[in-house]
Amino acid sequence: MQRIATTVRLNRSVLQFDDAANARLEQYLAESASLLEGDPDPQEILADLEQAVADQCTRRLRPDQTVVTLTELAPALEEIGSVQAPGNSTTSPSPPPREAPSRSLQQVSQGAVISGVCLGLARYFQLDVTLLRVISVLLLLGTGGAMILVYLGLMLLMPYAPLQPGGASIRWLPAKNRRFMEFLRAKLGVDRPGKITA
Amino acid sequence: MAAESKLAPIRKGLLEFLVLKIVGAKSVYVPDILRQLAGTEFATQEGTLYPLLSKLRREDLVHYEWQESGAGPPRKYYQLTDAGRVQLAALDEYWNLINRTIANFGH
Repeated sequence: MQRIATTVRLNRSVLQFDDAANARLEQYLAESASLLEGDPDPQEILADLEQAVADQCTRRLRPDQTVVTLTELAPALEEIGSVQAPGNSTTSPSPPPREAPSRSLQQVSQGAVISGVCLGLARYFQLDVTLLRVISVLLLLGTGGAMILVYLGLMLLMPYAPLQPGGASIRWLPAKNRRFMEFLRAKLGVDRPGKITA
Repeated sequence: MAAESKLAPIRKGLLEFLVLKIVGAKSVYVPDILRQLAGTEFATQEGTLYPLLSKLRREDLVHYEWQESGAGPPRKYYQLTDAGRVQLAALDEYWNLINRTIANFGH
């Protein structure tokens, strides 16, 4: 049997994850990043959480085991818990999450196939997402692939919609893309609109 | 239980006070704090504690320094700043005051 493992750098630790654990990890980190939207210093908290995940998983590995699986990751994430924003005494409590489809153009990770661009456009223009995906594929073929550049541009620029608890799950690829784009944006200094600065 | 929905916000509000107390007693890293709170009404998780510590650090009430650990990567040890000590003393005093006030009613 051959088990493919991904090497992941978590803050100051480097660990190997199998595919299922890796997907779960990506999802947890994407959710955490989304829950920290509006926090003035999300990078530090995410780094701390990554380190917590690494420490918890390392502690759970058997001595002869090198690859983290869901057997270790699931209880580790359970113990760490999802991100809870601290109550802030100096400002008014944050408004409840918006229920209605937002009128701003955002990528929607939950239920996305690649990154949530089509889903976000569909929501914004109130169109059927399948129709939009079909049009995108036709454009991709019609333009000889140049459409990819448009998609990549939108992926980089469109902000992410806040995750809805209990909403559709995030597939592996959108979670991966989201994490990479957030990394790229931080590097390029592309600021997310709507971000609250202290 | 109906009372639980009223107790939860009280605990949430007091967690910050308690964390200041724990950090004020001695330089600690996050697993120490979790261990001290575990088994009390204030048992909490890293997902809650890290955002809270980040907020306290931004308010300049705590600061941390890196310390090497025997095994694994270096750890963040948290301590109170001078402003943190002042605020902890004020919170402590206020807590005693409202405790006395509450005890004086209802006789």
